[in-house]
Amino acid sequence: MLGAGFSVGFAAIGAAIGEGYAAGRANEVLSYRPRLAGEILKTMLVGQAVAETAGIFGLVIAMLLLFGPSSGKPLLTAWAYLGAGLSMGLSAIGCGVGSGLPAGGACMGIGRQPAVAGPITTLMLIGAGVSQSTAIYGFLIALLLLFKQLPEAMTFPGLCGLLGAGLAMGFGAIGPGIGEGIAAENAVYQIARNPENTALMTRTMLVGQAVAESTGIYSLVVALLLIFLK
Amino acid sequence: MEDLTKVWTWTLDVAGFHLVFNATTIVMTLIIMGLLIAFGWLATRRTGLIPNPFQIVAELFVDSFWNLTKDALDEDMAKTYFPMICSLFMFLLLCNWIGIVPHMEEPTKDLNTPLGLGIMGFFIAHYAGIKTKGFGAYIKEYFEPIFFMMPLNVIGELAKVISISFRLYGNIMGGSIIILVVSHLVYGLIIPPFLYGFFGVFVGTVQAFVFTMLTLVYISVQVK
Repeated sequence: MLGAGFSVGFAAIGAAIGEGYAAGRANEVLSYRPRLAGEILKTMLVGQAVAETAGIFGLVIAMLLLFGPSSGKPLLTAWAYLGAGLSMGLSAIGCGVGSGLPAGGACMGIGRQPAVAGPITTLMLIGAGVSQSTAIYGFLIALLLLFKQLPEAMTFPGLCGLLGAGLAMGFGAIGPGIGEGIAAENAVYQIARNPENTALMTRTMLVGQAVAESTGIYSLVVALLLIFLK
Repeated sequence: MEDLTKVWTWTLDVAGFHLVFNATTIVMTLIIMGLLIAFGWLATRRTGLIPNPFQIVAELFVDSFWNLTKDALDEDMAKTYFPMICSLFMFLLLCNWIGIVPHMEEPTKDLNTPLGLGIMGFFIAHYAGIKTKGFGAYIKEYFEPIFFMMPLNVIGELAKVISISFRLYGNIMGGSIIILVVSHLVYGLIIPPFLYGFFGVFVGTVQAFVFTMLTLVYISVQVK
């Protein structure tokens, strides 16, 4: 139950900040380009729908925690469930903020250069999608913690390992999520300034995001080791 | 809540292996394939300068995805991969939309479908990379920037498959869970159609597009 609360609560924080940022940027642009209201509203809504992915993941894990399988070992499963909730919830903060940033950047970009709205929206979706990948690792760790066959004998390091896996993945995913979001935001805004370089900027953005994500992948590795290592 | 875990399966014992097939997914995938083939037949049956409605829709798909593929890859390479990208998007779009029809289930709600498509995209991207760069240069990329980064680079590549398939699965599954719970809470009055509109049509379209674009981008990263 506590895990479910953490999962939805933290995920909601991230998703709300991200969507709020997109809406704020949209208003900012509308104040000086009121004629583009329809286009900007459309982009903002698409971006927010992507940013909401984090919230949806949090909700799925919370639902599974509330109604899912419950086995007979209360203490051990409780720790695993708490770990699952923390992993999903914390990682969703980064993802929500990170995928809200490109949406804001796309609104600004369209306000600056309405002619390239198509490439901007495409790049926004790619950037937001990539910045969600750490939250998806958090989702994966949460699912593993939920459905893993726990050993009969319980040891104190084992208990801490389950919680630690959730914490490692959760905290590890905040930074990459936001960082990749910043990369995507700037790339999306800058192709409005120089649309000829779209292909080059897409590639640079992806390389930068891959490097920013490496810490998220380290925490994924650590979390997997904590779960599966005896 | 029992609806969430209830799965219609076929089991088959072959040569000592106990195989379990998820029957809902298979049947729904076959239905979608049938619909797509019917659409293709209708669209190309009598093509002309004055197009029929199906031809217009087909031209819309082909035109927009040809431009996207051409921008991401080179022109001659786009010719090779464009049919795969376009049909992947049409398949996923129909998969995500079919949940709106009563008694129909999205095949993408089952992890096996997105995972299968993700693995397919992974192999295609790496095949394209080896083919254009040559095997030596392909292997060398794993040892950059320093040689001991190799395991993490390999994990990073494998994690792409996880992230792309779990994104689609989580969104569609989450949408259907929300629809189920909210419909239960309001006794199926007023709200569910709007939820189907948002999660089925809107999120379904966005996620199908994201999956397709990421597959395309993974190919283009390997090639360049």
